Amino acid sequence: MKWSKVLHFILIAMIPITFHFYSPSFAQEKVVRMALKASDIRSLDPHYGTTTIDYACIDPMFNGLVRFKPEDINPDKIEPDLAEKWERSKDNLVWTFYLRKGVKFHKGYGELTAEDVKFSLEKAANKTTSGFAADYAALDKVEAIDKYTVRITFKSAIPSVLGILTNYHGGYIVSKKAAMEKGEKFKFDPIGTGPFMLKDYIPKEKVVEVRHPDFFRAKPKLDRLELWFMPDASSREMAFRKGEIDIVEGEREQAWVNKMRGIPGTAIEIFGPGETLVLHFNLTKKPLDDIRVRRAICHAINLDELMKFLGPDVTEKLVSPIPMNYLGGTDKVPRYEFSPEKAKKLLTEAGYPKGLELSMVITEMSDYRRPMEQIQEQLRRVGINLKMDVITHTTFHQQIRKDVNPLVLYVCARFPTADPMLTQFYHSKSIVGTPTAITNFSHYNKIDDLIEKARGEPDPKNQKAIWAETQKKILEDAVALPLCITKFVFARKTNVDLGYEMRSTLTLVTPIKETTEIRK
Amino acid sequence: MLKYTIRRMIYVIPTLWAVVTFVFFLIRIVPGGPAVAALGSYATEESIRELEKQMGLDKPILVQYGIFLKDLCQGDLGRSLITNKPISQEIARALPYTLDLALGGMVIGVLLGIPTGIITALRRNRAPDYIGRILSLVGISMPEFYLGILLMYLFAIKLPLFPVLGGGDLSHCGSRLYHLFLPALTLGIIMTAFISRMVRSSMLNVLGEDYVRTARAKGLHERKVIYKHALRNALIPTVTVIGIYMSILMGGSVLTEIIFSRPGLGKMMVFAVKDRDYIALQSVIIIFSAFVFLFNLITDLLYGLIDPRIEYH
Repeated sequence: MKWSKVLHFILIAMIPITFHFYSPSFAQEKVVRMALKASDIRSLDPHYGTTTIDYACIDPMFNGLVRFKPEDINPDKIEPDLAEKWERSKDNLVWTFYLRKGVKFHKGYGELTAEDVKFSLEKAANKTTSGFAADYAALDKVEAIDKYTVRITFKSAIPSVLGILTNYHGGYIVSKKAAMEKGEKFKFDPIGTGPFMLKDYIPKEKVVEVRHPDFFRAKPKLDRLELWFMPDASSREMAFRKGEIDIVEGEREQAWVNKMRGIPGTAIEIFGPGETLVLHFNLTKKPLDDIRVRRAICHAINLDELMKFLGPDVTEKLVSPIPMNYLGGTDKVPRYEFSPEKAKKLLTEAGYPKGLELSMVITEMSDYRRPMEQIQEQLRRVGINLKMDVITHTTFHQQIRKDVNPLVLYVCARFPTADPMLTQFYHSKSIVGTPTAITNFSHYNKIDDLIEKARGEPDPKNQKAIWAETQKKILEDAVALPLCITKFVFARKTNVDLGYEMRSTLTLVTPIKETTEIRK
Repeated sequence: MLKYTIRRMIYVIPTLWAVVTFVFFLIRIVPGGPAVAALGSYATEESIRELEKQMGLDKPILVQYGIFLKDLCQGDLGRSLITNKPISQEIARALPYTLDLALGGMVIGVLLGIPTGIITALRRNRAPDYIGRILSLVGISMPEFYLGILLMYLFAIKLPLFPVLGGGDLSHCGSRLYHLFLPALTLGIIMTAFISRMVRSSMLNVLGEDYVRTARAKGLHERKVIYKHALRNALIPTVTVIGIYMSILMGGSVLTEIIFSRPGLGKMMVFAVKDRDYIALQSVIIIFSAFVFLFNLITDLLYGLIDPRIEYH
């Protein structure tokens, strides 16, 4: 009996040692493993990828005609990518792009030509083949003039032509041959020109990309990139601590940042553009149809306390619905200082001297739930009893589009010009519940002319002035209250050298480029 | 016995039909849809409607149900609404990870649980019994996600013996077992707690029976009394419990799979709920239900092998 116990113990002890020898080893390969807060990808077709994990997987595989610098999303610094140079007509409606020669698609799909660009942009503009067709509504036609020249004509001027041609959303260029050959399968077997190409997609586990040896900028320094889907924060942290993951998506909380800073060999990346937290008031719901009630809520919310609660390192001030680092963002807007007295006075004037009660739904996602719980507490102090039902994130998105909430907290990032946010949140065509609905939860309809005027304004100075006017109006009418910006937080092993200094990115994750490498 | 088995298998069909019908309608009542989940924050009303049309969700629900049943009868589980991949392929890929985990957890549970149960029963109201009972209580009370993280911390971070990431390479036995050990141990410890308590209780009942007293009075060696006369009878209720737990383990693998990032069926099911991927969800539930029926059938058949008094009609 005793001997069998000893044998049993030895056998168990041998298991890890034995299996360790059998486990595959990639010691010779230069691999970066990134863990993201995600369950799975939706699509690797760049014209359908809408989630952070999609962006993370798509970005290393594709290029646009132009690109943001890897470390910076400043629209003024957009630089050539697949196009070497470009020229435009005086009215900004006709743009001609001259392509680089010798750019190779992955897996032998040939050289990039003007036909691929024409196909890609037409695909991006078609709502049956793209999730971003609305961004290309002004596109008139795309012509392949010769093998390396593309002419793009717009029906009307748009705020940033280069913006919709960057390495983001519909701007990514795909292989025409591969897309036509693979059809629906292209979503999970895409072909681009980027520094990495798809090797394997294991549903619910990871995407594996390998070096594209013919990448036009330079041979990528990494052999392989693995993007793991890990929704559980503790598991991501454990895998990072163990060294099985090199870059990990963090929680946007001060406590997480402080904890991870304590791990030796760890660099914390906190970068922009971040996501704006804006509280939208539904002007069609009583009592929020009364501007005094909306202003009372604005005065009752202590933004400094909220930012302190969310974490000073991971938040940034937001004074207008459009962040200052977006083209058209301004701080010349009315502000509602924190004043419970003013809030109570306004409520009394509006006929609610004893306070009032509001009911709403909120998603279980901590990025929304935590700030909203803090606001709930702040409103309670001035007599506003906010009842919140916590529901799943998908249901939340559906419910807020059905006008269920009097208050909608919306967390998002958009292309860094004022127009997308103003159009989607404050133009009457975007009012929820209408056939053209996007995300106008307020039902606001008083700045349509200004938004459209700014969109077609050729002079950048005038355009910025009109955008500033729209933001001023939004806050004067207390349609929405900008709360703050929460930045993206990642932890990285210091031996992973990104090859650039991270400041901001539209892919919302640390971009892996051909310059990224592992240092010893 | 063969007749009994065939009859039980036939009963599975209407039961499975009832389950899938219930699930089919239930998941469609829940607010939120796959199109909203897929399009995320960029969803416009128009794009949601367009995607729903592409997904076939614009058809009346009874038409969708008819199509679903027809496809199911032809063995076609359909395509994921989110990834558009054939569900059968995704299940075929995920199922081995879940079966590995459930079987691994059960093997550990049986290997540790039965001896622990015997020892605690034989040493009743003595130190080993108290320790065993306290440990089993801890095992039952401890949430598996907490136990998983604890084991991960001990055996992957502090003692870097096992990995924390993934399910390993399916075609590589060593890699598969290497990645299985910690998740299986997580479930195994919980199973040990349940099984040891069951074995202890059954053993205590059996040890007081006349035939055990008779066996001892005949002068049989104590080991023979315990293992041949007592344990064999005590195992009958234990086998029932193991059969039921095997089904629970399949479902209980959900949290363990998420913690250890194993791409199994449980993880697939949770994300299908989250993404409202109706097709994936109903398919996974069909598979889970089929396994529950299978384990119940095996349990019933095992009775006959363990207890010759049982006959099948």
